[in-house]
Amino acid sequence: MSYSSRIFQSPEYVSFRCNVPLKQIVLDETGTNKGWRVYDTGPRSVETPLVFLHPVSGRAEVFFKQLLTLSSKGYRVISAENPPYWSVTEWCEGFMQLLDHMDIKQVHLFGASLGGFLAQKFVEFSTIVHQPRVISLFLCNSFTDTSIFKYKDAAVLFWILPAMVLRKMVLSNFASRETFYDTQIMDSIDFMVELIESLSQADLASRLTINCLNSRVNKSLMRGLKSVTLMDVFDDYALGSPIKENIYKEYPDAKLAQLKSGGNFPYLSRSDEVNLHLQIHLRKFNGTPYSANDNIPITE
Amino acid sequence: MATRKKVLLKVIILGDSSVGKTSLMNQYINKKFTNQYKATIGADFLTKEVMVDDRIVTLQIWDTAGQERFQSLGVAFYRGADCCVLVFDVASPGSFKSLDGWRDEFLIQASPSNPDHFPFVVLGNKADLENRTVSTKRAQQWCQNKNGLPYFETSAKEATNVDQAFITIARNALAQDTDVELYNDFPEQIKLSGSTENRSSGSDNCAC
Ligand SMILES: Nc1nc2c(ncn2[C@@H]2O[C@H](COP(=O)(O)OP(=O)(O)OP(=O)(O)O)[C@@H](O)[C@H]2O)c(=O)[nH]1
Ligand SMILES: [Mg+2]
Repeated sequence: MSYSSRIFQSPEYVSFRCNVPLKQIVLDETGTNKGWRVYDTGPRSVETPLVFLHPVSGRAEVFFKQLLTLSSKGYRVISAENPPYWSVTEWCEGFMQLLDHMDIKQVHLFGASLGGFLAQKFVEFSTIVHQPRVISLFLCNSFTDTSIFKYKDAAVLFWILPAMVLRKMVLSNFASRETFYDTQIMDSIDFMVELIESLSQADLASRLTINCLNSRVNKSLMRGLKSVTLMDVFDDYALGSPIKENIYKEYPDAKLAQLKSGGNFPYLSRSDEVNLHLQIHLRKFNGTPYSANDNIPITE
Repeated sequence: MATRKKVLLKVIILGDSSVGKTSLMNQYINKKFTNQYKATIGADFLTKEVMVDDRIVTLQIWDTAGQERFQSLGVAFYRGADCCVLVFDVASPGSFKSLDGWRDEFLIQASPSNPDHFPFVVLGNKADLENRTVSTKRAQQWCQNKNGLPYFETSAKEATNVDQAFITIARNALAQDTDVELYNDFPEQIKLSGSTENRSSGSDNCAC
């Protein structure tokens, strides 16, 4: 299909697609799964990279602005898009396999909405089955409990619904672009809408299922986290403020990276501010064994 | 109005190295002070919820590096600033002379829509020191010439005037933010006030 939105046509995006190879990593032997879609940028010598996890509607490409900027500053940054997994546990096992396959022992995780929820579940999962593998979390417009979504009862039926219906479900939660008199936010919505068109029925159904089946984060099961940043946007976005309050309560010591505006997808619409916050989040690890950056630390 | 839009106010602290920017922020937010000097690298921020005239606002206070070689901020950092705090050390005439430069730097980078009326607040820090060399009068004169900027003499060490200064900073930042809302014809604001209620109660949306 042809993409017409402004971001797709931007020189920045074109350059990203020309210069950063997309890797398809198939992990299950039966070959039924189409595999993870992965962009791996920045110095390979870094052993503790930052991995980006997309929202329900997103694809690995949604973080291209973070990948471009942070890799140019010496950070190893990876965007990973999962193949269909139908439960949180399956997803965690899959992600663990992916990290093993890429020979990554520990990570910093950036998760946007559902991606943020899964990132937190992965902290638990890796603590329980293995040893803690997540050094830090950067959660953007995320949540700690799926019961906030109204589709609980219908979730078991998502697998049967046609792609068009599922797409509509996702799109109905986007604030309409016309409510934002801000070209960058409008562009970010257009870009996401086009990406949704490229998702398969199984992608959409499985993500919505995970998003809506009852599950919550259990912080007491988390070990090893050294820092958490919570990002949210003060303008209109799909999650209401009680959800924000919940996640704030869950992480009372977190750094709050709040943006005045940016809509649902600040990593696209306010990328320079998001990138600044990401650097502040990661900077404290520079020069330590947990650094996501290969630069020689600035000596004081 | 019961459901007023939540406000985030962005405050940026500028000034020469070791005038006490980090110390002022730490005193204000953590009520802590240390004699140890550790140069700030790049920028960092802290947040605090405060009441300004019966409104709850979130202050996002950005502390910056005074040393040039540690500065790598870029415009993203200055965007949307609501108040700029200029700090000098009352025992360092050099740091006082630098205020003009910091002010210009801010105006160039942030390019606020109304530069002549942008809220700056000036702090003469280390007022506890015996050997001060910049007189109150001289500092006040400078502020007077810049459209009458508010001036406070503070001590991050002894916590003198720190809260008072930040109350003025928050209040002037809020006034600036409200101005922007009024003069920018973003109908978004109108729409938001109508929908805040069901957004916050109806937590049934999907995480797109
Ligand atoms: N006596 C006195 N000393 C202070 C006061 N405020 C800060 N100091 C000391 O001054 C030194 C520098 O303070 P900082 O807050 O680190 O200065 P800064 O402006 O953040 O410096 P940069 O990060 O390099 O830009 C430290 O040793 C502080 O303890 C004060 O009010 N009185
Ligand atoms: Mg400092």
